[in-house]
Amino acid sequence: MEFNNNIPIYLQVIEKIKQDIVSGKLKPGEKMPSSRDYSNELGINFNTVARVYRELENEEIVFTKRGLGTFITESDQIIEKLRYTMAKNQITAFIDGMKQLGYTKEDMIKFIETENNYLEGNE
Amino acid sequence: MLNLIKYEFIRKYRLVSMILITMLALNLFLLTRGVGGSMLFLVLSPIVLYVFYLADIIKMYSDDLNKKTGYMLFMTPNSGYKIISSKLLAAILEGFALVLIYFIFILINGTYIIISAGNEIDYSQIIKAVDNLLSGSLGFNLGHVLVFLLAALAFLIAFITTVYTAMTIRKSIFSEIKFGGLFSFIIFLLINWVLSFLSSKFYDIITPYYDTVDTISSTGRVSAGGLAMILLPMIAVLIIQAVSLTGISGYLLEKKINL
Amino acid sequence: MNKLSVLKITDLTKRYYNKTALENVSLDFEQGKIYGLLGPNGSGKTTLMKVVAGLHKQTSGSVLINDEMLSYKSKAYVSYMPTENYLYENFKVIDILKYYNTMYEDFRYDYAVNLLNDIDVNSDIKISNLSSGQIGKLKTVIALSRDAQIYMLDEPLNGVDVLSRDTILDLIAKSHSENKIIIISTHLVSEIEKILDTVIFLKEGIVEVFGDAEELRQERQLSVEGIYKEVFRNA
Repeated sequence: MEFNNNIPIYLQVIEKIKQDIVSGKLKPGEKMPSSRDYSNELGINFNTVARVYRELENEEIVFTKRGLGTFITESDQIIEKLRYTMAKNQITAFIDGMKQLGYTKEDMIKFIETENNYLEGNE
Repeated sequence: MLNLIKYEFIRKYRLVSMILITMLALNLFLLTRGVGGSMLFLVLSPIVLYVFYLADIIKMYSDDLNKKTGYMLFMTPNSGYKIISSKLLAAILEGFALVLIYFIFILINGTYIIISAGNEIDYSQIIKAVDNLLSGSLGFNLGHVLVFLLAALAFLIAFITTVYTAMTIRKSIFSEIKFGGLFSFIIFLLINWVLSFLSSKFYDIITPYYDTVDTISSTGRVSAGGLAMILLPMIAVLIIQAVSLTGISGYLLEKKINL
Repeated sequence: MNKLSVLKITDLTKRYYNKTALENVSLDFEQGKIYGLLGPNGSGKTTLMKVVAGLHKQTSGSVLINDEMLSYKSKAYVSYMPTENYLYENFKVIDILKYYNTMYEDFRYDYAVNLLNDIDVNSDIKISNLSSGQIGKLKTVIALSRDAQIYMLDEPLNGVDVLSRDTILDLIAKSHSENKIIIISTHLVSEIEKILDTVIFLKEGIVEVFGDAEELRQERQLSVEGIYKEVFRNA
């Protein structure tokens, strides 16, 4: 994984894990590597990974079983909420970006529909 | 401590071997020039060995004080006292080794000389002759020899510690001065001057007590015990010198060194 | 959670007759963290490390290791890797390892042999015949093969080719553990900042910045390298 040193690294790792959960790369209940193993894998400090796990645990996206490790949540509800939140962020960013380009709400929707045809056509 | 000394010898092994091989070659070459060559070698070799010894013991300490390789030694968890003591002991042992080597050269060349003179080698005769020489005309016995050796050893130790202390003072208190080697030498001379001043004062104090001691017998010869009495003050001074200088060096290495 | 302060530097000053290398430096190092000691050449990083390593004596100020004043005994807990080539030239690599094994109780000989094997450093070669990259790798391996409490690596990436740098960084990160402190000094900030917990910026002997790397990134929206460039722009 490539890192952008201008933003806190732990935020980037959290983002990646969230994406992997939502995209299905990380399954519900799956065991995460230990702080040390994961930090070796990513080439970062293990304190950073420890922080990542702490923050994710605060958000209830992962849970720790003493002596066994850190696991992805099994709650579909939480995963759905996560998907929704991430999607919402995407939409907000999209809308902001399109507004900056001068698109109205109607134009945006029309654009999406044409693009959607294009997407469906390529499946 | 033993490990420190061991590594001093490991590090100088190659240099010393080269010197010895060169001398052996020189010896063999001079042997081809007959007895004269052999004797020439016996006269020259101690000079060469002595100069080498002096240079090597200075190098042994100087390299560690002044070169980056000194970090190898000074990063180890050894006190300054241990480090300077190990250097001192290594220097003394090296001195002994070189004297031993010179004796071996005497043995080789001596044997050659005796054989070329057409005589048979009879070591017991040789030993008797030496013994007669010493005990007969000079009145010496083994006791005298031991006292002399002790004095020589004390002198050697005092000398080495003076050299090392001068170097340590330079590298700690005067670490920023240029021409370090020259400055070390100046400090060496200063220390020598101070020490001879102090020891002459010491001799002045104890001399009155010596007038009462009968060191020379009626036959005009000095007994081993008498010799010891004469040399004892000197040996004592040298030992005090060596101990205090080692202490000073150790202290400076501990508290003041800047590599 | 208060972590144990293993290394405590208080008002450390080192003055030479014509310059001041360190000026009232006070730093507290916590167990389990990797510190980056950053600054340009001559900023005092090496002097600081050498004082803690017992190779230089400070002009004033104190250094406490495990609450004890610095002494020759501290060297048993500190593993310092000088930036220079300090290894005996006529020794083979394996001889250097044996020396360390003899002189340091905490030296892990087999671990070092295996590591050197992994990174392609031939144990049978004399130091004088090694390239500067090989020497760089060797020095780092030796320093990290000691099971010390405090590791100080002075410019571990200097003179090392780009490929080997990753190997070295990897080695350093893997050596990290909860009861150790690793202090790395470098001016190649971008390559190393991913593994740093805390950064210390040293400018002309004075601590300019001291902080958690991630917090600094958040606050200033800049990489540590970016902050470095700002701080030392005029250096």
